[in-house]
Amino acid sequence: MSPQLLQQLFTADALWALAPLIALCLGAMLVLLSDILPGTAGLRRPLFLLTIAAAAYGAVHGFGAPEGTYMMGSFHHSHALSAWTVIFLLSGLIAFEFGQRYYKEEARFLAEHDVLMLTSLAGMVMMAGAADLLAFFIGLETLSVPLYTLAGFRRARSDSVEAGLKYFMLGAFAAAMFLYGAALVYAATGTISIEDMSGMGSTLTEPLALAGFALIVGSLFFKISVFPFHLWVPDVYQGAPTPVTAFMATGTKAAGFAFLLTLMGQNLASGKPVLPESAAWIVGWIAVITMAAGNLGALVQTDLKRMLAYSGVAHAGTMLLAIAAGWHDTEPHGAQTALLFYMAAYVFTAGGAFGLLAWMESEGGEVTIESLKGLSARRPMLAAAMAVFMLSLGGIPPLGGFWGKYLVFSCAVRADMIPLAVIGVLMSVIALGYYLKVIVAMYMQPQTQSHSAGISPRLAAAVATGVCALVVVALGMLPSWVLERLG
Amino acid sequence: MSVPPSHIFLLAALLFAIGAAGFFLRRNVIVVLMCIELMLNAANLTFLAASRMHTLAHGARPDLQGPIFAIFVIVIAAVEAAVGLALVIALYRNKQTVSLDDVADLKD
Repeated sequence: MSPQLLQQLFTADALWALAPLIALCLGAMLVLLSDILPGTAGLRRPLFLLTIAAAAYGAVHGFGAPEGTYMMGSFHHSHALSAWTVIFLLSGLIAFEFGQRYYKEEARFLAEHDVLMLTSLAGMVMMAGAADLLAFFIGLETLSVPLYTLAGFRRARSDSVEAGLKYFMLGAFAAAMFLYGAALVYAATGTISIEDMSGMGSTLTEPLALAGFALIVGSLFFKISVFPFHLWVPDVYQGAPTPVTAFMATGTKAAGFAFLLTLMGQNLASGKPVLPESAAWIVGWIAVITMAAGNLGALVQTDLKRMLAYSGVAHAGTMLLAIAAGWHDTEPHGAQTALLFYMAAYVFTAGGAFGLLAWMESEGGEVTIESLKGLSARRPMLAAAMAVFMLSLGGIPPLGGFWGKYLVFSCAVRADMIPLAVIGVLMSVIALGYYLKVIVAMYMQPQTQSHSAGISPRLAAAVATGVCALVVVALGMLPSWVLERLG
Repeated sequence: MSVPPSHIFLLAALLFAIGAAGFFLRRNVIVVLMCIELMLNAANLTFLAASRMHTLAHGARPDLQGPIFAIFVIVIAAVEAAVGLALVIALYRNKQTVSLDDVADLKD
């Protein structure tokens, strides 16, 4: 490689655009080193936090940096990417804090756990910033392969290994589907750059390209757990260690949606969608069916973790509605703003709820509706936090989840998809059925099971729970403060 | 005489279909892993055939996007196989089986 080319590639702007990615990769290597070198085991936690802080600094710097495409057109830096990066980092941080004392017999492998998490975060950033199909594929695999391992992390337990294996098999199938789709798109268009594709007009609606995009979007639907690719979600979320579930439910979903937005042109300079307009109503109906599948599945669950998994499917459906509205939305970046806000609220809400679950599980085994009865008397603060998370997931004002839903449904209304918006609102009402069941059990029903001394106080988990609950409330009270900064 | 790209596309489509069918029909985890490899290689073949098609159409310079994509896919397929087989070993240690029929503890 000639020195001129290197100089063109590694400009200061390019390095700043890639700073979060570089920080996460370096951090992962340092944490791995701290595991190998003698006497440095205590550095694991500070190094992880330092890495997250460095990556966050890079992302915050990105808000002021010029937008543009770097690395020979494979990585696009935009202010939205910086916002997505912050969301990924928060998702990782929440999962990390709740995972601190969750593992017992695997505790000596915690350094590996953290390395895998940082690698996965790097994959998410790469996915969100990818401007061509190859960069996206590498990001997707950098995200997925560590997650397969993390899902099966409690390797002495057969349910964890089963979750890892199921996730791996379907993930590998989705990756193969994406690749074949990418190959067909490349055959039809002659390029793998999404920016170049967006200017191709009628070439994108040729049968070969359409088949390719259908496969690509199908594999993304798997990652964001959308009907009909959502069947793995309850099993994998239930079997995986709960902090990892929190990470999968928030971070992976955010990364998938970020790339869907790229395909919709909202992360690119051209601003033109690559996906054909005729898909708008199909995606819209898939969104509504996903909400129905998630909500109906959740209604009959008694295990809280499984219920939250189905609720995650319903939320993916709601978010997909903003994507479906993207073609006809009168505001050019409406879907981007709506999804960023939705995801920001969802990271704290679902992250907090799964985290709280992890905390309770490590004390008394599985958490069911039955075992939650009378929680408000035993642990009032914990019950209050759980109630905040449930109400926000249900979209009750004035909590963060409400504004996320409001923004998504207003996207659909602006795009003249009023029937879908109406069904979406009705679905939110059905969803309240199971969220309120949890609150009723905690506050209005007497204890039926005997409990050990109660949940031991843990600083990291308690602080994380408190911060999550406060942020959910703050996002609900001051949505305009966040929205102004988003765009 | 050379094979036209369209024939290679058809072969790749066939390989992908065989892989996908095997993925859903076979119950042995190892065989399912092999089916996934088949699908990945069908994608590789399509990339290479498409690259040749574009090169033949434009002529000036070989189109290298396809071959480079294929090289990355080969690397990542190896990574996936390593992690997949590790999970299979973990499964075997827990349950003394590699059949998907016996992996059904998690369900509604």
